[in-house]
Amino acid sequence: MRSIDSDLRGLEDKREVFVTNDQPFESPAKEFVPGTFYVNIEEVMPELAESKDEQDTSGELKLPVDRRDFMRLFSAGAVMASAAACVRRPVEKAVPYVEQPKDFIPGIANYYATTIDRLGVVVKTREGRPVFVEGNPEHPLSQGSVSLVALSELQALYHPDRRQAPQVNYGTNRVGEATWDEVYDRLATKVKGAKKVAILAKGTTGHGVTFYKDFLKAIGQSEENLYLYDSNSLYNAVSEAHRLAFGVDGLPRADLRRSKLLVGLGSEFLDVSGVSQVFDTKSWSVGHAFRAGNKGRFVQFESRLTTTGSKADERHVIGVGDEFAVGLAFVRALAKLSEAKGSAAEKANISAVVEANKSLIEETTSRLKLDEALFDKLASEAVAKKAVILAGESGASTKNATLVQVVAIMANVLTGAYAERLLFFDQGWFKNPTRPGDLARFLKDAPEIDLLFVINTNPAYTLPQSSGIAKALSNKVVVSMQAMPNETEDYAEFKLNTHNPLEAWGDEELVAGFWSIQQPTVRPAFNSRQAEDILLWVAAKLNKPMGVEDYRSYLREKWRAIYKDSGINKDFEVFFKAIQRKGFFVTQLAKREMPSFGHVADKLKFEPTASGLKLVAHFHSKLYDGYGADRPVLQEAGDSLTTVVWDTWVAMHPKKARELGLKYNDLVVVKGPAGSFEAAVYPMPGLHPDTVAVPRGGGKKVGLSRVSDGVGVDALQVLNAEFDSHTGDPVTAGQLVEITKTGKRYRLAAMQKHNDIANRRDIMQVVKLSKAVEKVRDEKDLDNVPDLYPSHAPKPGDLRSPDSYLFPDWKASDTYRWGLSIDLDRCNGCGTCVVACDLENNVPQIGREQVSVGREMHWLRIDRYFSGSVDNPEVSYQPVGCQHCNHAPCEAVCPVFATTHDAEGMNSQTYNRCVGTRYCANACPYKVRRFNWFTHKWHIMGDRPMDRNPRALNPDVTVRTRGIMEKCTFCVQRIRDAKHNAKQQNRLVFDGEIRTACQTVCPADAITFGNLLDPNSRVSRNRKDHRAYLLLGGNPEEGEYGLKTLPNVSYLAKVLHDGSDGVAAGDGHELGAGHQHP
Amino acid sequence: MSEEVKWNKTISDVNNGILANLAKPHPTYYVAWAGAIICLLIGASVWAWEISTGMGITGKTSPVYWGVLITDFVFWVGIGHAGTLISAILFLFRAKWRNTVNRSAEAMTVFAVITAGLFPLIHVGRLWIAPYWMLPLPNTNNLWVNFRSPLVWDVFAISTYLTISLLFWYMGLVPDLASIRDRVKGVKRLVYGIMCFGWRGTATQWHHYEAGYGFLAALATPLVLSVHSIVSWDFAMSIQPGWHTTIFPPYFVAGAILSGCAMVYSLLVPVRKMFRLEEFILAEHLEACIKLTLLTSTIVFYAYGIEFFVAWYSGNPYEWAIFEKRAIGPYAFYFWTMVFCNCVFPLIWWSKRMRNNIAVSLVVAVLINVGMWFERYNIIVSTLAEDFLPGSWGHFQPTWGDIGLTVGSFGWFFFWFLIFCRFFPIVSMSELKLIMPKPFSKKH
Repeated sequence: MRSIDSDLRGLEDKREVFVTNDQPFESPAKEFVPGTFYVNIEEVMPELAESKDEQDTSGELKLPVDRRDFMRLFSAGAVMASAAACVRRPVEKAVPYVEQPKDFIPGIANYYATTIDRLGVVVKTREGRPVFVEGNPEHPLSQGSVSLVALSELQALYHPDRRQAPQVNYGTNRVGEATWDEVYDRLATKVKGAKKVAILAKGTTGHGVTFYKDFLKAIGQSEENLYLYDSNSLYNAVSEAHRLAFGVDGLPRADLRRSKLLVGLGSEFLDVSGVSQVFDTKSWSVGHAFRAGNKGRFVQFESRLTTTGSKADERHVIGVGDEFAVGLAFVRALAKLSEAKGSAAEKANISAVVEANKSLIEETTSRLKLDEALFDKLASEAVAKKAVILAGESGASTKNATLVQVVAIMANVLTGAYAERLLFFDQGWFKNPTRPGDLARFLKDAPEIDLLFVINTNPAYTLPQSSGIAKALSNKVVVSMQAMPNETEDYAEFKLNTHNPLEAWGDEELVAGFWSIQQPTVRPAFNSRQAEDILLWVAAKLNKPMGVEDYRSYLREKWRAIYKDSGINKDFEVFFKAIQRKGFFVTQLAKREMPSFGHVADKLKFEPTASGLKLVAHFHSKLYDGYGADRPVLQEAGDSLTTVVWDTWVAMHPKKARELGLKYNDLVVVKGPAGSFEAAVYPMPGLHPDTVAVPRGGGKKVGLSRVSDGVGVDALQVLNAEFDSHTGDPVTAGQLVEITKTGKRYRLAAMQKHNDIANRRDIMQVVKLSKAVEKVRDEKDLDNVPDLYPSHAPKPGDLRSPDSYLFPDWKASDTYRWGLSIDLDRCNGCGTCVVACDLENNVPQIGREQVSVGREMHWLRIDRYFSGSVDNPEVSYQPVGCQHCNHAPCEAVCPVFATTHDAEGMNSQTYNRCVGTRYCANACPYKVRRFNWFTHKWHIMGDRPMDRNPRALNPDVTVRTRGIMEKCTFCVQRIRDAKHNAKQQNRLVFDGEIRTACQTVCPADAITFGNLLDPNSRVSRNRKDHRAYLLLGGNPEEGEYGLKTLPNVSYLAKVLHDGSDGVAAGDGHELGAGHQHP
Repeated sequence: MSEEVKWNKTISDVNNGILANLAKPHPTYYVAWAGAIICLLIGASVWAWEISTGMGITGKTSPVYWGVLITDFVFWVGIGHAGTLISAILFLFRAKWRNTVNRSAEAMTVFAVITAGLFPLIHVGRLWIAPYWMLPLPNTNNLWVNFRSPLVWDVFAISTYLTISLLFWYMGLVPDLASIRDRVKGVKRLVYGIMCFGWRGTATQWHHYEAGYGFLAALATPLVLSVHSIVSWDFAMSIQPGWHTTIFPPYFVAGAILSGCAMVYSLLVPVRKMFRLEEFILAEHLEACIKLTLLTSTIVFYAYGIEFFVAWYSGNPYEWAIFEKRAIGPYAFYFWTMVFCNCVFPLIWWSKRMRNNIAVSLVVAVLINVGMWFERYNIIVSTLAEDFLPGSWGHFQPTWGDIGLTVGSFGWFFFWFLIFCRFFPIVSMSELKLIMPKPFSKKH
């Protein structure tokens, strides 16, 4: 209720906003323009419109809404929104109600479907404020899950460092904030004076592209002046490779659900740098995690250990730049087989490529000690099974990126992946958000451009300095339109603050013929504008109107075209309303012929890389290319494999590090062709000895955001200007670097301090595939744990009551016992669950200093264990949250009953009662309890001042002060919600109705929550599964019951293929060498 | 040792000699007292900092949720054991050597337990509500404390122990306070008069006094064993490897007596010097104290050994891993400091010459105190840092907050102890007089 006063204040001024806001025309619009009401209520529910005779007919401009109308509209909107949950409803100022609208109940969430980060999501809003982002379960690309970027938009939306007003550089060192009207006027003048106006925009597949082209046309410029840019070069490499091979652009969509064998050439489909991480993880988890007796096989060749590679069943370490030759060796083996698919012409074309590179293949395979038999075996497996070959980012960012993709295409042709429709190239393929060659074109054209609009993209940071981006952005009027301040604004005369994706309109055609809509879920938090609306204003000021009053209307017009094509026999309004509710629309899928693989041998010029230490500047598994660097929750989530937070590290093979005399946390200078940087060493097993892997996303410019200030270094600055000759995208992998010891030490804040499992057997359980298949129908009873000392139990006639146990059975409910199950075969350690948990439960971020002490507050942590040889380790992930033990060690020792067992099996924590003895945390064998060592104020985060907006908090979860213990609650607020609903409808909660935050976002569907007393619930079935085990629960089959804490959380053991322990050739067992105590 | 201590003193010598501390003290006293005040102020300001900022100023972290503060707590509780042992158990066994040392040992006990009692308060996250929830106060919500929790037992054990030792100590003081009252004038006389409850030394009073004193001694005796047993349950009742073992109660009691006796020795030697009590606290008394220390040291030595044996014999990998790490892992320094200070250095006392060498013995006694502090540190930190899941393992590094609070606890203890030395008889005059040769008995 804090906001009421300030909201009431100046309400009169705010009424003005309803008239002028978002109207690109100076003249009043003829029709009713509701301004920040994104939907005119009449559009959606005509019967709610005021009757015409009551309308003001004087023709003068008058406020279109007075207070009464406002209230009516607002409440009508609210009624509508609550009635149909997913309908996007205009979110308005929180004014106190004179009469409470019937269905708008504070405390009841509304959900809106939208599209963020190329995924269909549903945004949960409370009292008009987004509080959580979940995947849209009906959206085929997200299937209910969500990416880290989309999830953390919440923190970006309310980010205190977002620009509050547009800023204009008036020259002669005068920089000042301006009003939007001034900006439009000034901008129009500048555009008028410019000979060549261009747009550099973030890659999109939607109508944004047509809009930018329309705008350029309207102001009399060429459509060619639009350049699309995305820092992920994979899109262009794949696309261009398909153009080379088939003459048609394409970004095939892989169907990993049906693939039995997956061969990766540095593929990163489970990483953020994949084509569509969430979609691919979803389908991977169906086809390649153990399910009903089946498990596909995944063989990966890669130069650094990636999250994707860590889930490979067989992994081979190759050097950076070897992908092409290794891929060809595999293709050669395939081509030898008579069963190989593909026409004779295709085979001839493929063999030509193999022949042309024969010596390269020989040289590389002998250097890597990969013998031909390996490829022959893999090839015969590939033609026998449904196999697909994916090549990924780590290969895609070398000079030969496109070539590697061509090799993957050749292999896929031979295994029949296209024909088998394991790769959708001919129908339902992904749309490429960018265009090959756009970047090169931009860098070439840049000197001629007089005025450049940069829209929601940050080339100044995401490109190496040596690429000449700084020069390309200078000597011209740069208009930077960004949701968050970034490095590109340094070059800008106009620094315009645009909407966050949660506030903006847009759409995407993610897959050919498949449209997804993006719509606002909240009233703009700050004085920002939609980028496209700014362009509309400029056009209007230039007297070259584009015929629409705002971008929303523009989109509506475009959607009207889709509607017409689809031939739906309903009204357009009904159609559009349904789209807004659903979030997406599938048109008739375009068909195109599957062309034949062309003759490409002479187009593929392999550029060899020199030997030596090679830098791979890869995407950070949380911060992406630096886009997420200003979000505390992503910084604090830490990398999946190193668990390092708030920093940039230099990952090296432990033996290489030893050779160079380097230890963990030694500060080194990495000197590349164009510069150098200093960072600390992290000895990482599984890297090629010549690979130096450094994540991007650090070293952001100081002053942009208090979150990213002074965090890490920018690895791109050492890179030379090298570009892929086919796509023109910059090379971020494979350049030679030198490493010099500085003698100084710098402590990386790694959340996990120990990396091996110390030979403990009841922590990570593993079963062989054959055993898993054999036992697939077996059932277990994990709850049948005999009493260790039966003689100690109270007997009839005993003076002791049955309650005299240390763990008495407190009135247990006979309807619910909540449980969680985690499938370790599916978990790939992406960490989305950790971020979701943080956001859902208001878990504070505490900063680097505190994490390095070990005080991270995550309620759910992902333990990552290495095993096997350091050259090629087996990596296992284990998410550990509170296990909700039925015999909880913590409950017995709390002196004040602050932690107790509830009737539904949950171990609950009463914050008010807790005095902070921390005995519970000591007693907890899983160490999942988190203590508030300080009051983590919302304006301070560890060592850095922050002003995170408390509006980003989940109102259902209380915030904790210092001195209190906290831990996973099984998202008790969601359980209560569902139980209230069920009670109102006089039924029990059904299975799947409650989904914990971690479960909703998990892209691999590894987490299942439900009622253990319902024998048919998914979680009960998982608990009975033959793979189920309890953490520290001993080995019940041999009569060992471990600690007997009887957790309600159960794990499903990881499944390994027979014959291989998941580890390729290695030399002994040097567990986590180089990982000593820091 | 003979039945009675040999004295060449008269009763008035006793009064004059022992009460000399009421006069202007030795200058070192002021130095010591100023030092104690400075330490106390450091501790107080660190505590204020901790209350206003949070527990995070100490080095505690996940997974080491207890650290230096609980070490200090157990250390001070342990120190508090010797006093009652010497006064009560040795009283019941009629060990005469105790009469010259029991007063200061009891004072040490009382102040050590008060100091120890502060640590749970310093250590809880929310001091402002902790006493309210931790005590079983009747309330309308019917919310009680959790009687299954050893921390609740601790509350009872420590408060009972404090009450009994305070009563025991004060009761012994009453006749001596009356002696002081008889010697001083003015306001002082009034104050001491009130403090001695108008003791007149009549036969009836003595009769009641003796009965009461014996009764309290009998009451206090089981407490000597119970308090530290219960403190050990704070650890033994949880399921952590290295803690969850049945040897803990006797092991802790022996350790407590060891540290207590060593502390008595380390206090007596300077006090004896400072207040010129060499003629009352004789070398043979000090030697008796050392013999007791040596005995408990060997018990502790045995406990260390048997702990390792049981950890190995149990075949529990988690248990054995902890002991392995203690001996040769990251906490080896603390472990070997503990072993050397508590078990190896005291072996020198098997030599009578060394037992009687006060300088050497003082060094060894102080080292035992250091060793006993490290014993608790070792038990707490090594177990917590690396328990079951390797993924959750961490490290512990004490901070200035931890050091400041520890220093403050010493300041607090010595502040009271020095006040006691200045205003109360350091040696029990009434008991001394009892064991002196009777005025008309034959000279020895």
